Amino acid sequence: MIDVLIGFYIATLITELFTTRLYRLLGWYALNSLFLGLIAIYMGAQIGDNAMIISGTITIIIKFMLIPYVLKYIATKFKIPRNINPNLKVHYSTIIVPVILVFTYYLVNPIIHNMAYNANYVALSISSLFLAMLLIIEHKNIAPKIVGFLSIENALFLLAISATKGMPMLVELGIFVDLLMLIVIVNILFKHQGDF
Amino acid sequence: MLIIFIPSILLVILSFFKINRTLMAGVSSLIIVPAIYIFLHPFVNEYFLVDKLNSFVLLISSIVGVGVSLSMISLPDRLNLNEEAIKRFYRFFGIFWFGLIISILANNMGIFWIGLEFATLSTVYMIKVKDSLTAHKEAWKYLTVGAIAISLVLFGIILMYASAKGVLGENAMNFYALANSADKINSFLFEIGFTISVTGFFIKMGFFPMNLWLADIERASIYPVAALFSGILESAIMLGFFRLSKIEMLVNASHLVTFSYIYAIFTLFMVSFLIYRTKDFVTTFALSGIEHMVLITIFWVSGGYFAALLHLAAHAFLKPALFLSSSMLEQKRRYSFKGALKGYKNKLVPLLISLLLLGIISIPPSPMFFSEIFGFKAMLDVAQDSDYFLVMIFAIFIIMILLSIIFYKFITIYQEALYDGKDEPKKVYKSEIAMLLLFTISLLALILPQVFDYIEGIIK
Repeated sequence: MIDVLIGFYIATLITELFTTRLYRLLGWYALNSLFLGLIAIYMGAQIGDNAMIISGTITIIIKFMLIPYVLKYIATKFKIPRNINPNLKVHYSTIIVPVILVFTYYLVNPIIHNMAYNANYVALSISSLFLAMLLIIEHKNIAPKIVGFLSIENALFLLAISATKGMPMLVELGIFVDLLMLIVIVNILFKHQGDF
Repeated sequence: MLIIFIPSILLVILSFFKINRTLMAGVSSLIIVPAIYIFLHPFVNEYFLVDKLNSFVLLISSIVGVGVSLSMISLPDRLNLNEEAIKRFYRFFGIFWFGLIISILANNMGIFWIGLEFATLSTVYMIKVKDSLTAHKEAWKYLTVGAIAISLVLFGIILMYASAKGVLGENAMNFYALANSADKINSFLFEIGFTISVTGFFIKMGFFPMNLWLADIERASIYPVAALFSGILESAIMLGFFRLSKIEMLVNASHLVTFSYIYAIFTLFMVSFLIYRTKDFVTTFALSGIEHMVLITIFWVSGGYFAALLHLAAHAFLKPALFLSSSMLEQKRRYSFKGALKGYKNKLVPLLISLLLLGIISIPPSPMFFSEIFGFKAMLDVAQDSDYFLVMIFAIFIIMILLSIIFYKFITIYQEALYDGKDEPKKVYKSEIAMLLLFTISLLALILPQVFDYIEGIIK
């Protein structure tokens, strides 16, 4: 089951890279977060870790429901351009994405050999980290860059739950608070962008 | 414990009402009270641990905070900042300080990261206090690059946590627990995590290859923001490096020395030539900040703890003082050094700024003179104990040549500011003189024998 969920998680992230409309990008990010939350809940249930189940639930509430909604609201309020064509042409992305997925395995081979559990998931989470970075690099507009950063955070959450079977609850809650702070800052930056 | 957050919370609340600048600076200066209290009354609980190292960093950071607050009394007049901008500055300064206390006092890598991220995000908006297109662009740039850097730090922390979770359980997040079990953890995974985290720290401090990133941001923002970056945020990041590198020393000291020296030399090479070509005070001071962070890093990894901490404290006082003095130096022409030290009615001002300008390049009796003497001695000791004696000596030689380029540039700037250009009258506010005196007295205090003894006792 986790394999299927991680498959969907990676698929939604890859789709983010090819999306050219802002609201769709937010939709794919929401789905990406939903699968991440489900992975945490399922993994937590398997190992009997209530903290991980709670983290998964909070992920779904904050990243699947709240953040995409708030970002869409900000985008509408401040009339942020909805057309977000990536700088990288689609045919180049089509080559780069599988290259990242395959070569990450080789790159992190020594790391996954040192992992006691979930070695494949660790490799996938590091791949998704690189894909999220690609999302930041390939766009000039600020809105997809923010989604890229949020996707990096998702990749790190996946790494944390797969490599360490979950971080301490307080740390995970703190990371959620930081994410909300990021959204507040983004809102204020758009609000006070002045007349230029 | 909660008492230490009261000044920052008070600052945030007061920023929503009509403000009196002097009162606000007074409230803002209260941040020093809990710092002194913590310095005198260390405590330990599940997530926080006050030892000599972090209480020292918190104390020097709070002195910098007081200096910044003093300069904020008159700065709005210089830069034509409206009341709303001042309110926003103090609001985010309160949040910044809140995150910083959490970060500095944390004995848990995760909580350290949360505090640092909180402080980073709050500074994003402080950059934009000045309403200009450049400040706006730089704020977004800081948000993007800063977020990537801080993500790298978290990535490394997860790997370091994974390296020890099997042995220590949830205590694998704890700095001291990790140091005590350094021989039992998965060293390969720890080292990978350490390298990634430290790269994130280095990017945040403007190390290679992001040398101009921080300088551009500091140039675009108002002077106090640059002072907060150099005097407080960089000290907090450096504290994280100190904590992690102490563990890495136990895991594999030679890897730490090699990695840090190579990174430091690359950075210093870039920075020295960039400083040589600078044309304004803020960019010069920003790049010089990177140079000093490099020196602190190599002094620390060479085992010169006293030198590194003295240098950290001296830099934390000197650099914000210089950034805040830039408001006086640049009042006639921003992109010219000529005549910047001329035209002051109060002769104390050019005297104090000259002392600071020469102090930053380690001219005695600057504390940096002593820290560099002890630091280079530590580097030579490392070279002597190393299997690669000649390589190490060559590295030290290169570092000294690069430092001499920076030394030459600063002397040129000083001479141009003092002897060239027109003698145009310049305005100085009382709060600016108070700020200069505060930093000068703090610097002089650093060279007292008792302070030397204290700093030497921080890391035995």
